[in-house]
Parts: sequence; C-alpha cells; structure tokens
Amino acid sequence: MPKKILIIDDDPVIVKYLKAVFSDNGYATCSAGSSMEGLEVVKKEKPDLICLDIQMPDEWGPRFYRKLRKDKEVKDIPIIVVSGIDGDHAVKDAVAFVKKPFDPEKLIGIVKNTIG
Amino acid sequence: MDKKILLVDDEEGIRKVLSISLSDIGYQVFTAENGEDALKIFHTENPPIVLTDIKMPVMDGIELLRKIKDENPDTEVIMISGHGDMDLAIKSLKYQAIDFVTKPINDDILEIALGRAHEKILMRQKLREYTENLEALVQEKSAQLLEVERQVAVGQAVEGLTSMLRNLAGDLEGGLTYFNELPCFVSIHNPKLEIVAVNQLYKERLGDKVGSSSWEVYQGKTGTPSRCPSAVTFKTGKGQRTKANIKYAGGQEAPVIVHTAPIRNQASEVELVVEISADITEVKRLQEELHQTQQRYQQLFDEVPCYISLQDRQFRLLATNRQFNDDFDVELGAHCYEVYKHRDEPCPNCPVAKTFEDGRLHQTEMVVTPKSGEQHNVLIWTAPIRNAAGEITRVMEMSTDITQIRQLQDHLSSLGLKISSISHGIKSLLAGLDGGIYLVESGLAKEDSERVKEGWDAVKTIVDRIRKLVLNILFFAKERELKREPTDVLNFAYDVAASIESKIKAEGIVLECDFADALGEVKMDAGVVRLALINILENALDACVEDTAKKSHKIVFSVKPDDKKIVFEIRDDGTGMDRETRESLFTLFFSSKGNKGTGLGLFIANKVIEQHGGKIKLDSKPNRGTNFKINIPNNIQAKNVI
Repeated sequence: MPKKILIIDDDPVIVKYLKAVFSDNGYATCSAGSSMEGLEVVKKEKPDLICLDIQMPDEWGPRFYRKLRKDKEVKDIPIIVVSGIDGDHAVKDAVAFVKKPFDPEKLIGIVKNTIG
Repeated sequence: MDKKILLVDDEEGIRKVLSISLSDIGYQVFTAENGEDALKIFHTENPPIVLTDIKMPVMDGIELLRKIKDENPDTEVIMISGHGDMDLAIKSLKYQAIDFVTKPINDDILEIALGRAHEKILMRQKLREYTENLEALVQEKSAQLLEVERQVAVGQAVEGLTSMLRNLAGDLEGGLTYFNELPCFVSIHNPKLEIVAVNQLYKERLGDKVGSSSWEVYQGKTGTPSRCPSAVTFKTGKGQRTKANIKYAGGQEAPVIVHTAPIRNQASEVELVVEISADITEVKRLQEELHQTQQRYQQLFDEVPCYISLQDRQFRLLATNRQFNDDFDVELGAHCYEVYKHRDEPCPNCPVAKTFEDGRLHQTEMVVTPKSGEQHNVLIWTAPIRNAAGEITRVMEMSTDITQIRQLQDHLSSLGLKISSISHGIKSLLAGLDGGIYLVESGLAKEDSERVKEGWDAVKTIVDRIRKLVLNILFFAKERELKREPTDVLNFAYDVAASIESKIKAEGIVLECDFADALGEVKMDAGVVRLALINILENALDACVEDTAKKSHKIVFSVKPDDKKIVFEIRDDGTGMDRETRESLFTLFFSSKGNKGTGLGLFIANKVIEQHGGKIKLDSKPNRGTNFKINIPNNIQAKNVI
C-alpha cells in the first residue's frame, strides 16, 4: 500500500502542484484548505506525513501544529513545512523547512528520507 | 543611556535567540514569558524599552502595552507580531507602541525599531529640558514679584519710621541726630506751610529750603498751596502717603513717594508735619524691568508653537496662549477636558492631576479635537507652579502637535508591512507558477491532456494574480493626480459590466445589470473608478465562489441617479462578513483571503472614491451576502440633466 501524504495549504494551485508531484512519485495524497479542515482529515485519513503551510487565513499553521501534537493518536506524524515565510521557530520538530518557491526533486528527496 | 530591555514572549526559543542578539548589541536583557510576569519585572527594573509578543497566554501583548503606557508613558514598547495578526499589530500602534517587528525577526529590522525607540526617548528628553527652561522663566518672574513686595515693605518701614519720629519729636535734640542720617528727604513743616527744618540729604539735593513754602519743591498739582502733602495733613489731621514729582536743585525732576505724619501738641492740635520723601526712580526702574519681563514672558507664551494653558485643581483653564485660542473654542474657566476633548469628565491618565499629586513633570500622548474637527495627536507635558509657600497652586500644561510625526510613522510602519507582505505573496506566486509549469510539462510527457489543461489553468490563475498584485503596487506607490473628464455614466457602467461578465459567468454565477436611463455625465477619472468598481465586483464574485452553502448565486450591479450624486450598487448573496471584517475592510493590507488577497484592493478602491468626493457604504451579514453602495457626486449635473 502506498504511503499517504496530507497537504495543508489554502492555495488550491499549490495543493494541485504538490498532489501531482507526490502522486507522480508513487505516494497517495489527501488535502485540506485550512487548519481546521486539516485536523479532521488527519483523524480520518491517518496520513504518514503532513506537508504544512504556516500562513493561512483564520488560523495559523503553528496553531494547527500545537493541536496536532496534543492529540495522542496522531502526535507522531512527521511534518514538513512548505511556506513562503522563512520561520523555523514556529514548528519545533518539523522534519524540514522548505521555502516557496521550492525544487520538487529536493522535496521528494526529503519525503523519501522520512517515510521511504 | 539606560541599556536595559525587557523581552516578553511565550515561546522559549524566541526568547533565547533574541536575548543573544540583544546582548550582542549591548543590552542588558530581562525576559518574561507572559504579560503578568513582564509587569513584575517592569516594576523592579523599569527598563526604557520593552519588546513584547502580541499573542500570549495569561496577559497578552496589547494588554501589557496598555498597562505599561498607563504606568510609565515614557517606556517605548515594540511589538512582535506573527503574520496572522497584522490587524492587532496596527491596533497596537494606536495604543502607542513605537513600532512592531514581524516574525521571523530580522536583526536589522529589530535594530531599526530599537533605534527609533531610542530616538523618541531622546527627543522626549530634549522637549522636557525645554519645558524645564520655561519653568525657570516662571520662577524668575515670581522672584521679580517678590522684589516688588519688598518695595512695598520698604514703604511700610518708612511709615513705621514716621511714627517713631512722631515719638521722637518731643525730644528735638535727640531727634535731629537721627534726622540727618536718614536716607530720605525729611522736612518739617509748620501750619503756615513753611519749612522749618530739613535733613542733610535734603539740603544736598534740594537745597536749604528752610523758610520756603512747603509746596515749592513739588511739581504739578502737588506743587500748589492747597494740594501739597503738608497742607493735606494739616487739613485732615491724618498721615498721608502719595506719589509726586520733585525738582532737584540741579533742575532735574524725579518721582518720589511722600509720607507725612502730623505732630500734635498737648491740646492734640496738629502743630507740625513731618514729610519724608523717598526717590522712587529705582523702584520705577525695577517695575519697568518687571513689566518688560512680563511682556517677554507673554510673548513667549503666545508665540511658542504649542498649546499652553494654566489650570487649577478642577482642571479649569485660567490662562491660554494664542495658539490655543486660535485652534480651540476657549472660554476661561471652562474645564480642560471639555475644551480639548469634548468630554464631560476628566480624562483617565490626566497628567495635570498627576502633577498636582506628586509635584513632578508628567507627560502623555492624547488625541484632541480642535474647532476644525480634525483630530490631532498631541504630546502633553505638565509642570507644577508653586506659590511662595511652596504649595502647588497651578499646573502649566503644554501640548505639541505631533500629528504629522504620527502619520509619518504610520506610513513608514505600513510600508514595512507592505514589503514583508508582498515578498511573501511573491514567493507563493512563484511556487504556484512552478506548479502550473510542472503540471503542463508532466502532462505533456504523459500525454495526459486533462493534466495539461489543469496546469494551464493554474498558470492563468497565477498570472492573473501577479497582474493584480503588480497593478496594485504601482497604484499604491504612486500618488496620482486624477484625470477628471466628463464621462457618460451609462456607457461607463456597460463597459465595467462587460469587462467582468465573462469571469463571473465562468463560475456559473448570474450577473444582473440594472441601469437607469437618464444618468447623464459625471466628471471623473473613468480609468481609476473602473478599477475600483471591478475590484469590488471581484470581491463579490469571490464571496459567491467561496460560499458553498447555497446552490446558485447572483450578483446585482445597478446604477441610479440620486439627488446630486450617482449611486453604483453591487449586491451579492455570497458569504457576507462579520462585524470585525466589515470594520477593517478598507484598511491597508487587510485580507480575509490568505494567499489569494494582497490586502490592497479595497483600500485602493476606497481611496479612489474618496478622491472623487464620494463614499463607499457597506451592508453585510454573515451567510446573507454583502451590499456595497458607491456614491460619486454628480458635479456637472446642471449642464446635463433636463
């Protein structure tokens, strides 16, 4: 069974892009357009990795991260931050911080290193 | 300068990293993880600068800012804001934060903010020195007044001397000894108004007038037999005190104060009159000097480019300077808070009250409303004015208009904000472009036409966003003059509708146009008004697209004449807005759309309509839709209607 990646980004173009990149490399994907929706999808889909944007309307990525880490069932899912902001103190134990615009091959490299 | 700084943030990582940077610049850093702890440290260390995060548990940054500014307005507070709380950051400026820096914190930007805080502290110190100089002047003036009082006291002493002389008169031998040594002109007159004795000084200056008439040395009315001091004393039997001019032996005249005292015989009849005159040229000179000082003081009071007032404990205005009178409806005796702020009760944090309380200088910043109705930011200083006993009887209040500084500061802050927001926007757009290209390329390689189309659509969307961003930036960067030309409103409306119609239809939404017939012409810059209307129409479209709760949507675009204006109305039945969104809608960089919005569109639309003397009115409810009414004055109506 392919590993599953959850993409959380409010920009549908970015979601489409990441979905195409991941599925072209043999991963299954699911997505959410906000952090609230993201929390629901995490519980339902149990992804192996989360790709998170840290600036979104209504709620901040970091807050999603805090809520996620409080939930025992899903707290160990690795996170890659993909964002236009170059901040790294917000999500402490992220696997990697990828700045937009990003090189898809490098991203895939990080994903492979993390979940195989 | 005191290099203490208090750093408040709930995230330990930020505290650590920033502490290192700040120590490197040379600060002694104190840290706290929430507002409450911060206040405790603030009380013990009293740092001149506080750097605080906005969002924190227990007590947040805004609350902390308000408390600190309340306790010690001299403290400069720099806010640290996340990307999600720009409106809070802007709000903090209203509560007098000096600046804010956004996370992640760039050391250079932080140093600029710190520099600005230091500059303000320095500027305030200088202005305080200025106020203290003024105070010194007030003290000088008080000293002059004391001098005058002393002169009066001298007069009283002379009177005392006269009564002493009266007692001595019985013993003429002994009396004469003193008589010659007195530093005044002393003479003794008999009832025939003849001078019977004079002292040494009298002889030297006025000549040996023994045997002459009592009135001879006096000038003017006093120099007549009926009005001279001795004559009046004989007539009334009472000692006199009067001002007169005398003529010296050399011919020059001098003003004197004359005291007389009757000397009675045993039958209580006035037998002799003692006249003592003191040259008051010196007193006059002092009075003149005092007058000049007073005038200089008044001039300074009136000419300084500040509002100055003198207030009592009830905050009543006892004196105001010209600038104050020019800009406010001043009625002496009225309360400061009524005149300045149209309030019914004293302002909280009143610096005048504090000065009355502790006798020290205080300052604060306030917004006041002059006659013109335009609000002004003023920096207020207060200084105590004490009476001779050292009690504070009045407080002087001086306010400087710093509206322009504030505006400049806001502008600079929003410019910084703009750059950070735009750079983030551009990065996202680039990532989006990469996405579109990736989809097209991989689609072509896989011969997957569906994916190619998807990719191309993405490219088009992103290019469209880039165009909008660039146009908005260009518009914002340039303060352009309006090119007003007579424009046929009906044609204009059709033109606007045509340029947005296809976009609206593509989303499966109906655009209903309702244009009145007799719209005539309006003088306006059609290009920019068109941009503004399209901006609002696009917002309506976004609101409909986002609203997935309803099956179908409709946007109504109507144009109607109304009295002296043209009303454009754009109504949608999309998501609508809550109150907070409504209120911050036209502010710079406010966006409810995350990556999709620049926060510039409606700000610019509003500016354009205001430039035309018009107004945008807004009516909206969550889930019910939004109604924008845009009024533009029909300034050339007379020519075109009827």
